[in-house]
Amino acid sequence: MKKTIYTMWKRCEENYSELPAVRWLIKKNIQERSYGELAAAVSAIKKGLAAQGFSHKHIALIGTASAEWIEAYMSVVTSTNAAVPMDSGLPAEDIIDLVYRSDSEGVFLDGKFSSLAEQIREKCPLVRKIWMLSGDAVEGTETIADLAAAGEGQDEPEQPEEDDVSMIVYTSGTTGKSKGVMLTQCNLYSNIEAVLYEEGPGLVFLSVLPVHHAFCLTMDWLNGFWMGSVICINDNLRQMIRNISIYNPDVMLMVPLMLETIYKRLKSLGSDVPPEAIAQKVFGPKLKRIFTGGAHLDPYYIGEFEKYGIKVYEGYGMSECSPVITNNREGACKLGSIGKALSNAEIKFENGEILVRGTSVMKGYYKMEKETEETLRDGWLHTGDKGYIDEDGFIFINGRVKNLIILSNGENISPEEIEGKLALNDLIGEIVVTGEDNLLTARIYPEKELVANMSEEEKAAALQKILDEYNKTQPTYKQLSRLVIRQNPFIKNASRKIIRHEVLRDEPTV
Amino acid sequence: MEIESKFKKVAERYCSVKAEDITNDMKPRDDLGLSSLDLMTLLGDLEDELDIEFEFSEDDNKLAGIVTVEDAINLLKEYAEE
Repeated sequence: MKKTIYTMWKRCEENYSELPAVRWLIKKNIQERSYGELAAAVSAIKKGLAAQGFSHKHIALIGTASAEWIEAYMSVVTSTNAAVPMDSGLPAEDIIDLVYRSDSEGVFLDGKFSSLAEQIREKCPLVRKIWMLSGDAVEGTETIADLAAAGEGQDEPEQPEEDDVSMIVYTSGTTGKSKGVMLTQCNLYSNIEAVLYEEGPGLVFLSVLPVHHAFCLTMDWLNGFWMGSVICINDNLRQMIRNISIYNPDVMLMVPLMLETIYKRLKSLGSDVPPEAIAQKVFGPKLKRIFTGGAHLDPYYIGEFEKYGIKVYEGYGMSECSPVITNNREGACKLGSIGKALSNAEIKFENGEILVRGTSVMKGYYKMEKETEETLRDGWLHTGDKGYIDEDGFIFINGRVKNLIILSNGENISPEEIEGKLALNDLIGEIVVTGEDNLLTARIYPEKELVANMSEEEKAAALQKILDEYNKTQPTYKQLSRLVIRQNPFIKNASRKIIRHEVLRDEPTV
Repeated sequence: MEIESKFKKVAERYCSVKAEDITNDMKPRDDLGLSSLDLMTLLGDLEDELDIEFEFSEDDNKLAGIVTVEDAINLLKEYAEE
């Protein structure tokens, strides 16, 4: 049997047909689709894709989590095509750039983002088809029903091979340009296979992570489907806590930021109320396990959640590994560690850096040979994280080799990318972006001649205005919350490059 | 005024500043220590309390426009009046 998402999905179709697969809300009312219904929709879209000539092509998905988004995604990853899930929160120009750079020939577009259709058609000449996931078809697009109709009466298209790329996930690069991580059918399959739970079908997941993230797609959706679970869609992060009590999940995957917010909510319910009563109110009767990843969680929270009867298991991964590399699990966890390596991952250390080899390690970065060679050497993926392993096989992280800033929402921020954009402004002589207290700080040495006649207040106002303009165009996690105006240029090395690790020591004031 | 006091009362759930000490010129992140998700969740709680419904999603620029407590209150007023 081939280790592909296609074969996994075939098993779901055969074994879980009558069971619920997806739940979502319309005005607080739960809607549901069974595995059988989902499989029928997936099959129809897949035949439509084949009929329209989509075989071994790249297909972008733009939108937030919805039943339609998942149907389209499953249609692509169970075919020979590769899905390119996009962060719909990015500025329009960045989304278009990724559609272009990924060589996508088809685009599934959520109705909320229909205004992008015209720009995609204009700027991405390879795109032959745009299918609307919701709403009416706008000019130059088709609906999902049109696509399904195109495939009516067709045979099942050819199935993918293990080494076919099934998904390209864009991730922040240290050079400022995001990189397309190519994950094969086998990469995804192996990652799920290595984390399966012991429970049978019917486990309820509440999926609160952004749907374009590898952590969400592999560990909420594909892993959930494999086990015959029900995956509930959190329609809006604002209502995450309320939705827990509506869906009553058994399991949730979160980034640390979410645990921090929920913890504040727990504490606000009062120290005189028994923790069991608080847990019942916030988590419902069934939630006992939360898996966290994407960024390191302060171990303090693990102990605190335990008081409410919730076990928090921290894991570690990156898109390049499909994404999970290590995890804490029932019967094998250690506070402060990121757990043990998955059964399909081999780990070693080189000058303190964690290297990974195994069946979940990516094929490479799409059309970025130099970056691929730097990251994948002799089959070993260089994670950029520093760590060590203890005598029991638990792994701990204690720093980073590269410049990426990792926020507690799991977003990886490339400081160079932001610096590059802001440096275009005349007033900015030198800039370094740093992350402290989970916020981004712009540290700027203004262009000396241009600010010579300005007071400190005028300088601050002018620079703040530049940051405000930039922030308006960015998703929340990329916004600059703080400004430090430097009195002196940054310290540089012999080749005139700014020494990044000196910037905080040098002029730290915020 | 009612919306303002409700906002401050609910904000107490996510920050260590007491409702009566929260002033309208305070910044949610820097002065109240709210993360982006705290602020979003707080707005979500107020959607329920005030029986309103924002039609924007979490990545909308409306949230980027909230620089002070007053901005958040004004956003709520805008929806409550409709």
